[in-house]
Amino acid sequence: MSKQFTAVNWNTPDNDYALMFWEQNIRQFWIDTEYIPSKDIDSWKGLSWDMKECYKKALGGLTLLDTLQSHTGMPKIIDHIDSLQNKAVLSYMCMMEAIHAKSYSTIFTTVSTTNEINDVFGWVAQNKFLQYKASTIDSHYRAIDKEKVTDEELFMALAASVLLESFLFYSGFFLPLWLCGQGQMVASADIIKKIVADESIHGVFVGLIAQEVFAKLPNKEEVKQRFLALLNDLYENEIKYTEELYTVVGLTAEVKEYVRYNGNKALMNLGFDPIFEVKQVNPIVLNGLNTETTQHDFFSKKSTNYEKATEIVHLKNEDFMMDAVVDI
Amino acid sequence: MIANEVAKNWILLNNEIMIKHDDEYSLDKDKEAVRAYFLEYVNKNTVFFYNLKEKIDYLVENNYYINFYEWFTFEQMEEVFNFVYAKKFRFQSFMAAFKFFQSYALRDDSGEKFLERYEDRVVAVSLFLAREEGVQKAIEYAEIMINQEYQPATPTFLNAGKKRSGELVSCFLDEIGDNLNGIGYAVDSAMKLSSIGGGVSFNISKIRARGEAIKGVDGRAGGVLPIMKIMEDTFSYANQLGQRPGAGAVYLNIFHSDIEEFLDCKKINVDEKVRIKSLSIGIIVPDKFMELAEKDEPCYLIYPHTVMQEYGQYLDELDMDVMYDELITNPNVKKKKINARHLLVKIAQTQKESGYPYIFFKENTNRAHALNGLGRVKFSNLCTEIMQISEVSDINIYGKEDTIRYGISCNLGSLNIATVMDNKRIKETVKTAMRALTVVTDVTDIEMVPSIAKANRELHSVGLGAMNLHGYLAKSFIMYESTEALDFANTFFMMMNYYSLEASMEIAKERQRTFVGFEKSGYADGTYFDQYLIREFQPKTDKVKELFAGIHIPTVEDWTNLKAQVAEHGIYHAYRLAIAPNQSTSYIMNATASVMPIVDIIEVREYGDSTTYYPMPYLTNDNYFYFKSAYDMDQMKVLKLISVIQRHIDQGVSTILHTNSKDSTRDLAKYYIYAHKLGLKSLYYTRTRKSTIEECISCSA
Repeated sequence: MSKQFTAVNWNTPDNDYALMFWEQNIRQFWIDTEYIPSKDIDSWKGLSWDMKECYKKALGGLTLLDTLQSHTGMPKIIDHIDSLQNKAVLSYMCMMEAIHAKSYSTIFTTVSTTNEINDVFGWVAQNKFLQYKASTIDSHYRAIDKEKVTDEELFMALAASVLLESFLFYSGFFLPLWLCGQGQMVASADIIKKIVADESIHGVFVGLIAQEVFAKLPNKEEVKQRFLALLNDLYENEIKYTEELYTVVGLTAEVKEYVRYNGNKALMNLGFDPIFEVKQVNPIVLNGLNTETTQHDFFSKKSTNYEKATEIVHLKNEDFMMDAVVDI
Repeated sequence: MIANEVAKNWILLNNEIMIKHDDEYSLDKDKEAVRAYFLEYVNKNTVFFYNLKEKIDYLVENNYYINFYEWFTFEQMEEVFNFVYAKKFRFQSFMAAFKFFQSYALRDDSGEKFLERYEDRVVAVSLFLAREEGVQKAIEYAEIMINQEYQPATPTFLNAGKKRSGELVSCFLDEIGDNLNGIGYAVDSAMKLSSIGGGVSFNISKIRARGEAIKGVDGRAGGVLPIMKIMEDTFSYANQLGQRPGAGAVYLNIFHSDIEEFLDCKKINVDEKVRIKSLSIGIIVPDKFMELAEKDEPCYLIYPHTVMQEYGQYLDELDMDVMYDELITNPNVKKKKINARHLLVKIAQTQKESGYPYIFFKENTNRAHALNGLGRVKFSNLCTEIMQISEVSDINIYGKEDTIRYGISCNLGSLNIATVMDNKRIKETVKTAMRALTVVTDVTDIEMVPSIAKANRELHSVGLGAMNLHGYLAKSFIMYESTEALDFANTFFMMMNYYSLEASMEIAKERQRTFVGFEKSGYADGTYFDQYLIREFQPKTDKVKELFAGIHIPTVEDWTNLKAQVAEHGIYHAYRLAIAPNQSTSYIMNATASVMPIVDIIEVREYGDSTTYYPMPYLTNDNYFYFKSAYDMDQMKVLKLISVIQRHIDQGVSTILHTNSKDSTRDLAKYYIYAHKLGLKSLYYTRTRKSTIEECISCSA
């Protein structure tokens, strides 16, 4: 008998989180062209040559990761997820990854020449640490590129995805956030903050699915060790990448601290205890992500606080019955 | 300036405030940041002068200051300097010091060295303002500023006394006529005003809608969007030597048939061709629209050019209460049917996604407008607190005479509620502040835009506001949402109104001159005073009575006398009060902004070029509780407080709604309805607090 196809039915929740993540994702929807990186042109001109190189490379590296995630990571994972609602959330996230990958180009295109941009993409294709990072993650995605996969293979792919979203992006995010905290490249950082907000829910969501798969494993400890080995391998690579990228601008030590901090976050998203010792993360970078009630005037910059309106509720007669008496 | 890429110590210290120890923020780090900022940056980068004489001579000779010797002797200037320096002023927060040196202090031409400290700026502004009035007046101005009782708005505080400087006023409004000459005049004005640092607001309601006739041929007009695009580009081009991006706003009447397109320009996923990024938008809402929404009756959007052809009048100038039924039954007036409630929800949706549009309640404004004998208020400005008469000018082709009518120009300043209350100097401060604002209108002449120059010349409008309301209430252990807060506002702002009127009357008396058209105003016929003659405005609650102890509060008798004096001498200013949102200046004053509630115990402030952490003024472990975030407040109560303030303010109050991302469009729409019913004249931005993913997970769990 041929395969039976089912339609996604949102009327019956598959679990207690898919709809919530769906809504949060929609609310966070944005596109790169809403933002105005051209406001950064003067700031860009004021940066030193080394800083500009570092910035371009950091963003180039991020572009590679988002490309990998949207073209390979998410599509492969979706294949092996049972819940149709979870699949829907993942495909939405996949679409956002594509927007992320494009949005770095929006910044490049605004501040750099075509030659410079081509050089950055050439560097990305040649850099051994970036390539190692991509190929390591990719190997776990490719491992599930078949019809039947084991829970262990699926968990490793999901865990690799969480490492990408919650850990490996941050060596790149550090620089735009650090500059922004000091008033440089602020408009472009608005885009970066939007990406960070997305990656953080992606990491949490994929992490939840990974934990469900992990719970089903018979050989938990063995798989955990395998995962920790992967994490350590990537961490060593990340440290070298950080040194190569950030030494000229003197930020290596602080970026490493930030990488470890986010390594712990990735572990927590997967339900594991933190393993890295973290002393003090640069407060400028940390605060840069805390945008809950940020004040700004609408004339000097665009806010990152506004979101797609999803709570559309219409007015009723009683809404007009209001007592407007003030007895003072 | 070349960016310094090493993280600066004071920025790091300021960021460290946010690190929590035992659940408390590291507030002491802020003082360390101020210290580091002075020791490591300001002091090292300040030009040293051997003595005062050398300093003044240097600044005058090198074209930094105007030649103050034309008006004062050195000894007189020295007297003012000594008076100010003897006050031993200290900045209370890093934000205050940083903002002052970053944005206000005079620098040398290389941009690297400071030539002024805070005290010097205060003296320069005072000497400038008092140059025709003498040294005693200069000391009076200096006193209200160094005491931080009064703060002139940015353009005045930044530019006064400087030889090479921008204008002292920066808030302009004008109408746009529905023809190419009118549009050209508006674009030209926008460019010129923007280049001198002005924020400009235009009423575009008179422009014919998309699809209307041009020269009798239907379907040719492009509507308001193309004009908005031109305006947006104009403002970003003319940006005051690259120092500050130009800013502009456009207002559209809600009955204009382009209104839906107008609102859509701010949506997140809208086509690039019709997206407006940096131009602010506002809507003009007549009572009739709210009535249609309330009764849930069909609402018709109207094509303005067909109204002009039929009645010879602009849609925007018609009284919709009277004309609406006529318009919708006249077959020659083109219209389209919509649902008013749905449009309110659409406005809410747009606000949730962008913070815009501003809302201007037209009849609420005009019901309380003292100059109805001269004309109506049709729209507002970039911060929704300026509300004055305006009328479109007729601009002709070269060689033919234009007819110039009123644009709007306004210069602003704010009282610091906490210091004037503590020093028991409301009367003195309001009166001196009114003098300071009057000098600014006297010396301002925006010749390049004649409609605006005419308004300033004839109406002398100013806008005295107030800041630090929440800070003062909190330090007095009063909750912002309480009855005591209403009680306080009712007395305080009545007094502001009283003394500003008295000052305006005194100036008119001295100069034997009123604003043009005074005799047709509610001040002349006395109707403006009605609300003050039927009841007292003394505080009612014990707590507030205590705050006003030892201060004379004007009584019905005082008001009666004032009414008679105004009738006899007139008043000098057509408009006096307006509560601006004042952000930068409130930081310098270590105050909470305007009359709005605070957003957080420690505010995170982003500018285009910096992010700073600002612990709220007067915050201690004892009064922590009174610093409640606006996002946690009942917005209905906030609106209620604003309505009490609004009673006493002849123009408007910038009112921000603080909502959470979970609030529905219905919640927002209810705020508009309530604000309208309370008689508020406008609503400014709607700000949204994002829910974090942690909150999302915890509420789903």
